[in-house]
Amino acid sequence: MTLTVSNPPHLKSKVNTPFLMKQVIIALSPAVVASINFFGIRAVILIANCIFSAMITERIILFLGKKSSTLNDYSAAVTGLLLALTLPPSVPWYVASLGSIVAISIGKHIFGGLGANIFNPALIGRAFLMAAYPRILTTFINPSSVDAISSATPLVLRKFSQVITPTTALFFGKVSGSLGETSAICLIIGGIYLLIRKIAGWRIPLSLLLTTTITSAIFFIFNPSWGSVWFHLFGGGLLLGAFFMATDPATTPTTKRGRYIFGIGCGLLIMIIRYFSGLPEGVMYSILFMNALTPLINRYTKPRRFGT
Amino acid sequence: MIRVEEYKEPQHDSSSQKFHNPSKLYLPLSQHTGAPSKPCVKKGDQVSEGEVIAKASGAISAQLHAPKSGKVIDIANWYHPTLKKAPAIIIQCQDEEKEYSSCKDKDIELLTKEKILKTIADCGIVGMGGAAFPTHVKLDPPKKIDTLIINGCECEPYLACDYRLMIENMDKIFRGIRLIAKLINPKEIIFAIEENKSAAIKKVNLLINTKKFDLPRLEPRQTDLPPIRLVVLDTAYPQGGEKQLIQLITKKKVPPKGLPLDIGALVHNVATCFAIYEAVYLNKPLVERLVSFCGDALATPKNIWVKIGTTLQELIDKKILEFEKEPKKIICGGPMMGIALDGLDYPILKNAGGFLFLCDQVDDSEEKPCLRCSRCVDTCPMDLLPLEYVKRVKKEEYASLSEFNIADCIECGCCAYSCPAKIPIVHYIKIGKNYDLNGK
Repeated sequence: MTLTVSNPPHLKSKVNTPFLMKQVIIALSPAVVASINFFGIRAVILIANCIFSAMITERIILFLGKKSSTLNDYSAAVTGLLLALTLPPSVPWYVASLGSIVAISIGKHIFGGLGANIFNPALIGRAFLMAAYPRILTTFINPSSVDAISSATPLVLRKFSQVITPTTALFFGKVSGSLGETSAICLIIGGIYLLIRKIAGWRIPLSLLLTTTITSAIFFIFNPSWGSVWFHLFGGGLLLGAFFMATDPATTPTTKRGRYIFGIGCGLLIMIIRYFSGLPEGVMYSILFMNALTPLINRYTKPRRFGT
Repeated sequence: MIRVEEYKEPQHDSSSQKFHNPSKLYLPLSQHTGAPSKPCVKKGDQVSEGEVIAKASGAISAQLHAPKSGKVIDIANWYHPTLKKAPAIIIQCQDEEKEYSSCKDKDIELLTKEKILKTIADCGIVGMGGAAFPTHVKLDPPKKIDTLIINGCECEPYLACDYRLMIENMDKIFRGIRLIAKLINPKEIIFAIEENKSAAIKKVNLLINTKKFDLPRLEPRQTDLPPIRLVVLDTAYPQGGEKQLIQLITKKKVPPKGLPLDIGALVHNVATCFAIYEAVYLNKPLVERLVSFCGDALATPKNIWVKIGTTLQELIDKKILEFEKEPKKIICGGPMMGIALDGLDYPILKNAGGFLFLCDQVDDSEEKPCLRCSRCVDTCPMDLLPLEYVKRVKKEEYASLSEFNIADCIECGCCAYSCPAKIPIVHYIKIGKNYDLNGK
């Protein structure tokens, strides 16, 4: 009889890293289906390209570093998919590939790989492309037209033409924008799935969405041209960011109080950028900025000692 | 708090059996928190069942009795689940059974507090839920106790000994509770059970609703003892832990390094209440206990009354336990906090509620990088940041561990259970605690 002697607990939950990653992919599938519905073959190619490039990059880096620990955990696939969903459907293939390569190499592995990165890798990829190809990254096509006529996103229309897109269009997705952010309902379904299955915590999405709701409500009361609550919730990348980017475990606070602060901080920054900056949308920069603050937030939000 | 797969099914329905004829008994002198007891017999002595073989030494210690009549064949180091090897009295048993006769309730009424407390001390009763703290010390608190909590949670998966004990001996447990109540005179008595133990809940309700156990008060000036109140808790782990149970019931938290009595609470396990009953009513020392033997390697899981000091090997040899499959892991205690053993020579101690023999249910998944997903933080019942300990122990930054209150950790294992990267967090915490306490 050979007996294993190890420290307790001797039972482990069945949830492991690959399971979590697969669940995120399942949660994103409504948005993926919607994007294919709106943008057709372009969406398929863009998503496949980003995932493929991310996984190849991951494999090469792990091979060079002689590591195998995160090889088949689907984390690179999630990063690639998330990046694809934040890109305009019309980006050339090489731009998308480059984004994935940067996301995995600089966003993730420079910091030590899975769990050790400071910034959300998909957003690092997108931020890099935003700096390298600003025009490509801000040219959007209208999903209702067959021949890819470029058109402005709802947030651009509000900011620069004072045109408010109807809420129903935002909700069901017949608006121009990044691949995965055009249909609010699909992102909400995916987000609720993540929360119900306890794949992502509820503290960050809840505090983020509440902050944007309250802020936009206050501004709307003063002047409806700021855009309604529904407009701000359903427009742009807010839902994609709140449910899928701001809930990335590695780059967000580990303390319970810290997660509220993170959500509120993201929500406020998003609204400040949307209202007062030269940019129409601020989800990406807000989350990246709060990622940078995460170690600091962790340090100052240590839980109160039990019984004191 | 977490919900853990229970695996209690077969054990819950298995009525208790007896195994009263071991050939040898191995009785470690350290079966309780505090100083080891001092042997008062020597090699070659004849001892009879219930006779004291080692005396309590110091304020926190407990008596040890011969569970069977027989001959002391040695006093030597023997296997011990937590201490690896420790001095033990070894008895070659004779095949005779002692009968204990019970006192009447009305005789017990006449006993003074001091007499009851002395009987409990003389009978070597210790906390049988796991901590093995000498019961007579706990029943003589320096502060006023408001809330007496009777712990019938048994929140560890697999284990079912407390459940069986409650079903089969609830009236005796109630008599034990009454004795405790007389000693400490609490404002309220709460019987806490998890909702997965429906038969035990029925028993408690039945007894609460009969007046039979409202024994008259002990001293004339004392007012009537409060009634026993049943609290049914959702099934969750680790709410059978002392601090967690007190928090749930009284909404108060035991302060760091403090004791439950600091906030006026006292928790006793149902098995301890039963042992107190036997000590006072039968004058029977703690020489046997009900133990759950379970796990997928056993042909049939069983709940067995065994003499303290019986080894697992003996239970296998006498075909009391039979293997269906070869076990890969043997655990003393429950799967969440129990200790993995390296053989079958370990004796059953006063605080051992169960032994697991696992084969396919052994988890041997490889450790992966931490995702910082915070599941460990969210499930920690002590509000700690377990991932910080892992990070610091791996980097050997032991000095910073106390900033994160590592000493508060109760090692319940919720963090490691929930970790998707399968990091053995408790293992790292144990290393860290060792450095934190001993500086090595």
